[in-house]
Amino acid sequence: MTKTVRGALLGAVFVTASGAALCSGTAWAATIKVGVIAPFSGPFATAGQTFKQGIEIYQAQHGKTVGGDTIEFVYKDLDQANPAQSKALAQELIVKEKVGYLAGFFFTPDALAVAPLIDEANIPCVIFNAATSAITEKSPRYVRTSFTLWQNTVPLAEHMAKQGIKKVVTAVSDYGPGIDGETAFKQTFEKGGGQVVDSIRMPLKSTDFAPFMQRIKDSGAEAIYAFLPAGPTTLGFAKAFSDTGLKAAGIKFFGPGDITQEPDLPALGDAAVGITTTFNYSQAHDSDMNRQLLAKAKELFGSSDLVTFSTVGAYDGTHVIYKMVEATGGKPDGLKAVEAVKGMAWESPRGPLKIDPNSRHVTQTIYLRATERKDGKLQNTEIASFPDQPDYGYKGGK
Amino acid sequence: MSAVATDRTRRETAGRRLRRAALDGAAVPVMAVLGLAAFWLFPNDLGLMTRIAATALYVLSLDLVLGFGGIATLGQAAMFGTGAYAAGIAAVNLVDEPITLLAIGGVAGGLIALVTGALILHARGLTLLMLTIAVVQIVQEVANKARDWTGGSDGLSGIDPAPVLGLFRFDLYGRTSYLFALAVLIVGYLVARRIVRSPFGLACRGVKEDPLRVAALGGSPKRYLVALYAVAGVFAGVAGALTAVTSGIVGLDSASFSWSAEALVMLVLGGTGRLYGAVIGTVAFMTIHHILASSDPFHWMLFIGLFLMAIVLFAPGGITSVLNGAGIERVFHRMKGGRA
Amino acid sequence: METVFGIVVDGAAYGMILFIISVGLSVTLGLMRVVNLAHGAFAMVAGYIASYAAQGLGLPYAAALVGAVLVTVVATLPMERLLYRRIYGSANELSQVLLTIGLTFVIVAGINYLFGPTLKRIPLPDALLGTVSIGPKSIPAHRAFVIGMGAATILGLWWLLERTDFGIKLRAAVDDPNMAAALGIRTERLYMATFALGTGLAAMGGVLGAELLPLEPYYAIRYIVLFLAVVAVGGAGSIFGSAAAALALGIVDTAGKYLIPNFGEFFFYAALILILFRWPHGFFHGRGA
Repeated sequence: MTKTVRGALLGAVFVTASGAALCSGTAWAATIKVGVIAPFSGPFATAGQTFKQGIEIYQAQHGKTVGGDTIEFVYKDLDQANPAQSKALAQELIVKEKVGYLAGFFFTPDALAVAPLIDEANIPCVIFNAATSAITEKSPRYVRTSFTLWQNTVPLAEHMAKQGIKKVVTAVSDYGPGIDGETAFKQTFEKGGGQVVDSIRMPLKSTDFAPFMQRIKDSGAEAIYAFLPAGPTTLGFAKAFSDTGLKAAGIKFFGPGDITQEPDLPALGDAAVGITTTFNYSQAHDSDMNRQLLAKAKELFGSSDLVTFSTVGAYDGTHVIYKMVEATGGKPDGLKAVEAVKGMAWESPRGPLKIDPNSRHVTQTIYLRATERKDGKLQNTEIASFPDQPDYGYKGGK
Repeated sequence: MSAVATDRTRRETAGRRLRRAALDGAAVPVMAVLGLAAFWLFPNDLGLMTRIAATALYVLSLDLVLGFGGIATLGQAAMFGTGAYAAGIAAVNLVDEPITLLAIGGVAGGLIALVTGALILHARGLTLLMLTIAVVQIVQEVANKARDWTGGSDGLSGIDPAPVLGLFRFDLYGRTSYLFALAVLIVGYLVARRIVRSPFGLACRGVKEDPLRVAALGGSPKRYLVALYAVAGVFAGVAGALTAVTSGIVGLDSASFSWSAEALVMLVLGGTGRLYGAVIGTVAFMTIHHILASSDPFHWMLFIGLFLMAIVLFAPGGITSVLNGAGIERVFHRMKGGRA
Repeated sequence: METVFGIVVDGAAYGMILFIISVGLSVTLGLMRVVNLAHGAFAMVAGYIASYAAQGLGLPYAAALVGAVLVTVVATLPMERLLYRRIYGSANELSQVLLTIGLTFVIVAGINYLFGPTLKRIPLPDALLGTVSIGPKSIPAHRAFVIGMGAATILGLWWLLERTDFGIKLRAAVDDPNMAAALGIRTERLYMATFALGTGLAAMGGVLGAELLPLEPYYAIRYIVLFLAVVAVGGAGSIFGSAAAALALGIVDTAGKYLIPNFGEFFFYAALILILFRWPHGFFHGRGA
């Protein structure tokens, strides 16, 4: 291929494409598209499903239009953490589907992958889940409506220290969020006068947890702080904890609420009873908004069993997008849209929320919950609350 | 294996051999023309097409070891991932010139292949398969552990390569990325073809067909295989680096067992032992995957599974065997109860 | 000393579960030369059937186990006739991989559609809850039960392959199919029976192992590497080899996780490489049982 041919080729395509871009830039879009990238197939399909349900519940309650513009969601499947694919999908959404917003993202690397794209295209990106603190530092166009490991762990560690617990073992899955949790716990708990006697990082692919249980037993700890990704590993860990007699020996089980997420509770069974967690949302949260959300889920999908943290992450994320569209009058301007929601506060089914203007992450109430059986069904009962918790892991300001 | 192969060669008619030679010779111009036509026809799908081009190079590397050396592996992503991480780490810390980054990826992929190949290529069959899986798992675990360098499970982000040849910036629409990836694929294909036709390539094929004869003639079968494995590692490393450069991020998935298995599926789908089979298999699999996943993200797996099964049942030599006109006859032969 | 004892007991318990699921794969791979990557899918299907039988129909655990094994075998037999028969033989390895991966995808999608993506469980009877003490070490009662079942499986298979007419014919057919056919052995039927045996073992493993390898649609893909490792280390087709391999890998894995949890994954795969270096054809290569 000669240089001239390539030059001519590039030129031709550039003209047509920039023409198209110009058109979409000035036209008043009657339909505003939101591209959602999440796992809809594969081992994490539940996450994508809860995102979709959260969006649909919100749209069913609040309508599909904002100031005359129709909001349409376009779903793209990304079955597991795969940043290169995430970027290709985002590119397609922006270039081909002409989306005005990106949303979704279950895994951190997938969210990080789109940073250069959203900056270049000036598109806001609302993260429904991906929980590593550092993400929002990478672009001013990220807004996050979920939680971070720091946010959930700090109040838990403080609570445990106040309870007079002295010796704790941390057991986390050996990957980014797990290590975040371990660091957050250690710092806070040791500041509170406690002692972390052993820190176990478990391979992500572990299936048998008996050896870790033996280690916990040998360490002589009174309690454990555990974090594993929701799903089969958590189930294996919680089962091993009760099967190997640690539970009977009186060792207390604490952790972030992912490990007792609602869709997993029926499978966890009695192994989950007695686990104490901190989290931003429980299906059992006592508020009218939450009851309305659950009723709507039942009406739309026949059951509200799947409703969990990622559902409200998407529900509140959709709310943020609606507010952004409202603030920009439907015109595409990512920075202005993000600017408009900085400091925004509202009431959500999980409680009061506020977008921190600095970190663009939600400041929210974190609840202390105990997993128990009520009317034959397992639930996470809220027993205390810690209001206005920011993302303690955000380093942007320092 | 060897008896079957020679038998098949004998059965191959002159006409079919001619058709195959023509396909082989036409592959590069066809690839270039179709690649550029796609650039014009689907200007909105350049992200996907860039990934296809880089993946095709990766599958090509697998064809070198499997199709020409008979090495069954489920660990090719070890080389792909090493190349991707090497290029990514270099881009973040040292250089940002894209072609240099590809070279770094290639060297890294080649080195890891050389070392691990020398270690494991004495084995055959299931044992070798398991050893390659063990290697890829260890590489992935190293990447997970070396968080300071690789970002661990968060991925290695912040790769921002300079414009290609100092002229073409990597743009939002993916135009530069695509043309760059296509060019690298075509160059890679030409080099690969040169290699398989060279005396070295023919010797490797000899090892695949009949290692005893090679040994009797004074050659060391293992040494040939290790060399081939290392050469293919360079290709996989370049493919990994290409993905890192064009996507700007490297994740742990790039050194995973499933990414290795996916390459194998794409290669078998296209047909092994012919370089263009790797390209055709990749294009077919990824395009179908993309269409199914976007039309029905919830149940695409069912259809892709049925598609794979249909290929085995109705076109057992892969898609290219149909193009060669061999497929139908083989199906017929099979229906009569014979074994192809 | 107590530590070593603990590691051995935990490792053996884990290894037995691996054995029960993997031995079926070893049988089909060693005797019929089929790389059946859908093996995990069959185990998963049986687990779901048992889960449904126990929770949906309220059957007791034992009935759910037997029912799931029977239903899985009956449901997969047509596949032997329609699919697998076309790809027997070591010359078709690549076709086998592609076909069985395709089949796995179809089964995963089907299970996902029917049962949804959430975790499913098979409730245990009261007798299998709680713990059992072995010296200073206590292990879950369910695991003790699985160890017993594993031992019974080893003996049963050994008897079947070494002491029965079926076993003799099968070994003859494996060694030389043409000669066996000439002697009047109906190899097609034999293969079908062996396939059923392999599937039945997968099914039993899927149900018994569900406590350790929880049921979800991706089960079929998630654990296949583990099963292949057991078969490779044990030597394809060898019953005792599979048992020895499963125990060895179980103990290695447990030791690694207990002693150096942060590098548990390295330890396991490094050990695998070393073992395959020493025994490139597996512990018991080329033996019928």
